[in-house]
Amino acid sequence: MITLSNIEKVYQTKTIETVALQNVNLTVPKGEFLSIMGPSGCGKSTLLNIMGLLDIPSSGIVTIDGQPIETYKDKELAHIRNQKIGFVFQSYHLVNDLSVMDNVELPLLYRSSISGSERTKRAKAALEKVGLSARTQHYPNQLSGGQRQRVAIARALVGQPEIILADEPTGNLDSVMGEEVMNILLDLNRLDGTTIVMVTHDENMALKTERLVRFFDGQQVSDSKLIANFQQV
Amino acid sequence: MIRHLFKLIWNRKKSNFLLITEIFFCFLVLFGVLSFIVYNVRNYTRPLGFKHENVWLLTMRPSTDSTAQNRQIVEQVIQRVRAFPEVDQASLISSNAPFSFSQMNNHFSYGDVKRIDSDVYEVQDEFKDVMQIQVNQGRWFGTSDDASHHEPVVINKALQRVLFGEEDALGKIIHVDDSTNFQVVGITDYYRAGSEFSAEDPAVFTRINLKKNPKYFANEMLIRVKPGTGIDFEEKMVKEISGIGKDWALEVATLEKMRQNKAKVTIIPMIALGLVCGFLILNVALGLFGVLWYNISRRNSEIGLRRALGAASGQIYRQFIGEVLVLATFGLIFGVLFAVQFPLLQVFQVDSEVYFIALAGAVVLIYLLTTFCALYPSRQAAAIHPAIALHED
Ligand SMILES: Nc1ncnc2c1ncn2[C@@H]1O[C@H](COP(=O)(O)OP(=O)(O)OP(=O)(O)O)[C@@H](O)[C@H]1O
Ligand SMILES: [Mg+2]
Repeated sequence: MITLSNIEKVYQTKTIETVALQNVNLTVPKGEFLSIMGPSGCGKSTLLNIMGLLDIPSSGIVTIDGQPIETYKDKELAHIRNQKIGFVFQSYHLVNDLSVMDNVELPLLYRSSISGSERTKRAKAALEKVGLSARTQHYPNQLSGGQRQRVAIARALVGQPEIILADEPTGNLDSVMGEEVMNILLDLNRLDGTTIVMVTHDENMALKTERLVRFFDGQQVSDSKLIANFQQV
Repeated sequence: MIRHLFKLIWNRKKSNFLLITEIFFCFLVLFGVLSFIVYNVRNYTRPLGFKHENVWLLTMRPSTDSTAQNRQIVEQVIQRVRAFPEVDQASLISSNAPFSFSQMNNHFSYGDVKRIDSDVYEVQDEFKDVMQIQVNQGRWFGTSDDASHHEPVVINKALQRVLFGEEDALGKIIHVDDSTNFQVVGITDYYRAGSEFSAEDPAVFTRINLKKNPKYFANEMLIRVKPGTGIDFEEKMVKEISGIGKDWALEVATLEKMRQNKAKVTIIPMIALGLVCGFLILNVALGLFGVLWYNISRRNSEIGLRRALGAASGQIYRQFIGEVLVLATFGLIFGVLFAVQFPLLQVFQVDSEVYFIALAGAVVLIYLLTTFCALYPSRQAAAIHPAIALHED
């Protein structure tokens, strides 16, 4: 469970001060599939970074499973990110000099308990889930945008995290592929109980989730349970 | 993780090529300079085989060409010199006294071993006492050899090794030319007269026998004086000798002074090479530092990503140090493959051990250097804020 209370994030540059988030109060219970919508620049990515312990708010409190994150050291935060959180970034962030397989294995590399062969096995399974078994030895620049997006998703789920933070995971996919990715996420949520927070610009995708929070100019403007739709799917 | 780093470097081999090449050349230069230094230092630590303290070299230049007369004067001079109470012993020597700039050599054959180059030192019986030579096997030559059919010689163990190998050298006859045969009467351990940095080269001492050889002339004389004897005596001695050899030019130098002069011939190039090498390394270090820094700044988003996926900042630090070590390893693999050719092919006549010490030293230095250059950029990499790094891309 992630809770954000009174979160404010201000980006301070030499000349301007940007308020990216303001007075955000949000609780994401375990197992929820939450979608976030809002115009460009309203602070969605910033919010995901804070939830994912990549960034700290200017003020306010973030807790993960009840523990305020200020109490953790850098090493412990890294450990939590590695064990509990899977990221899908808006711009994929694949390492171009590593093969698809190695990219997907990357989170497991930071888990000392997993052997090399186990890593490969899990990465293969994750790639299979996103339908990329045939591309394991390719390099990111040999893939289409949609394929890269799927590699990024495979990487997010390879470690079987409790929480997946996905920043427009279907943004670069055609509608068919988008559906497929959405189904993967829905399966993860329903079958494995993975908590998912997804930023999207696609109303249809958002409507498939359990709860939709809308942002405008760094503030929550609406928070609606879509539980009825969610169960229908 | 190490496999991951090798993979990463290997996949980036194109962009890392320059860096690897730089490390490769830096290694070769270090290897060369270290070989030179190790060679000299190793020689330096070996015994010279003689004691040069309190020994003076008297050089006499006759004013006329009259050999018979000059010879007579030299004989008088040496008698006079030996008679001084301040003098322990004195011996004529061919022009290759210890630490002098001249050499005299010949080649010798024995059995199947042909044409071995060796320094030849013509000395008197008294030379052993003047230079305090230790004869390990057999004996030094002396008046008992006057009757000998062959010319008695003392050789050093370096010559013994190459000429006779495992065989006992004592008593062996070395045929020199139609009229001359050497007979080995004694073997010394070391005799490295060139300089303190000279290798242990083969040496043979032949006997100056003034009685048997009325025309022999040598114009250099080694004189061992009593400890504490100084410039006063030198002046007195020169004055007296001038009385014997009228108009002869006389020159006295201490072997200690000559040792210092001769040592400079090696030390100065060693320092110069060391400096050049130092500058080169500084250059390489700066280059390396710059490239590493640049590489890391280019990889901001990758660093952010790794942090997001669970790398602690210490792990990023170690990764970058590790990458540099892997890079260095690639450069060193090529460098070592190249460098081992020297001992394998025996390019110069230098002990393989010298090369191996230099090789190990150069490898260690390269690792230290690259690690040192990587410390700061890696710390910068570790300090990168993940959210900002991910945002930049
Ligand atoms: N590192 C930063 N430094 C300065 N300003 C920043 C930084 N990151 C984000 N911002 C600003 O904060 C605001 C919110 O940015 P954010 O990336 O969260 O938007 P977003 O909702 O994800 O937009 P998009 O839908 O286009 O991805 C923007 O005005 C942006 O300019
Ligand atoms: Mg965004």
